[in-house]
Amino acid sequence: MKISTKGVYAMEIVADLALHAGEEQKESLGNIARRRGLSEKYLERIIKALKEKGIVESVRGARGGYRLLVPPEQLTARMVLQAVEGPLAPVGCLTGETDCQMDCNACPTRPLWQEMWDCILDAADQVTVAHILAETKREEKRGIDRTEQI
Amino acid sequence: MKISTKGRYGLRALVDLAVNVSGQPVPLTAIAARQRMSVNYLEQVFGQLRRGGILQSTKGAGGGYSLSRDPSCITVREILEVLEGPFCITDADRDGREDKISRAVRALLWEEIDRRTACLLEEKTLNDLIKKEADPDNAGKQVHAETDA
Repeated sequence: MKISTKGVYAMEIVADLALHAGEEQKESLGNIARRRGLSEKYLERIIKALKEKGIVESVRGARGGYRLLVPPEQLTARMVLQAVEGPLAPVGCLTGETDCQMDCNACPTRPLWQEMWDCILDAADQVTVAHILAETKREEKRGIDRTEQI
Repeated sequence: MKISTKGRYGLRALVDLAVNVSGQPVPLTAIAARQRMSVNYLEQVFGQLRRGGILQSTKGAGGGYSLSRDPSCITVREILEVLEGPFCITDADRDGREDKISRAVRALLWEEIDRRTACLLEEKTLNDLIKKEADPDNAGKQVHAETDA
């Protein structure tokens, strides 16, 4: 599978939430949608999937919104992506989605796909939302450093 | 990278060819039968592999396909890139609207995944896949035929 726009936006949404949650540790749907350039409806669908996996929760009330339930240092890309995109398997036969009617145990390519899957999961496991935030700060600093040089 | 049917089946068919070659070109129909693929489909896939420099073909009676190089010199990455283009974990189009968050996610995550998988695919050769196929536990060369046992 390829990661769809849902997965891409889910990552950005949780990073955005971590960045902007502020003192009250929550942010409104409207603000997130505006910053990410997404419709609230589309955003809601993604947020729903994240809620179901305990990554975010909704905060009720007039100034409600959403908050991250998992601290950014512990929230991995793997957790976020699997919440919205499923197992992240590179080929369907690993999860029984497709069936080429051969014996999987005798298939010469299956170990390769399995390794590829492990590779993707490993990489996604090692990136946390905290890393993403740190990178945005590095970018800001690079911008400031450049301006100061002028 | 969604590894599509073409990538999956193409790779399997190539392994079949590599296992069953013995000085002679392998006819497409034989591979199609063993791998339970349609001949037409396999023709398309093998045509692409030929144009991509991985296979050679000889026409006429006794003709068929053969590898252009030793299987240990053909990487899985090369095969899949001929069939599918370069691996990338996401094609998602953001209409060019990027910001520091989307850039950070791209740099740390999507590009890293692509790098690691490209590395993995570059390390694997067709020969590595053949070794699994020619495992003595499998029923000789003509594995994947109808199991008549």
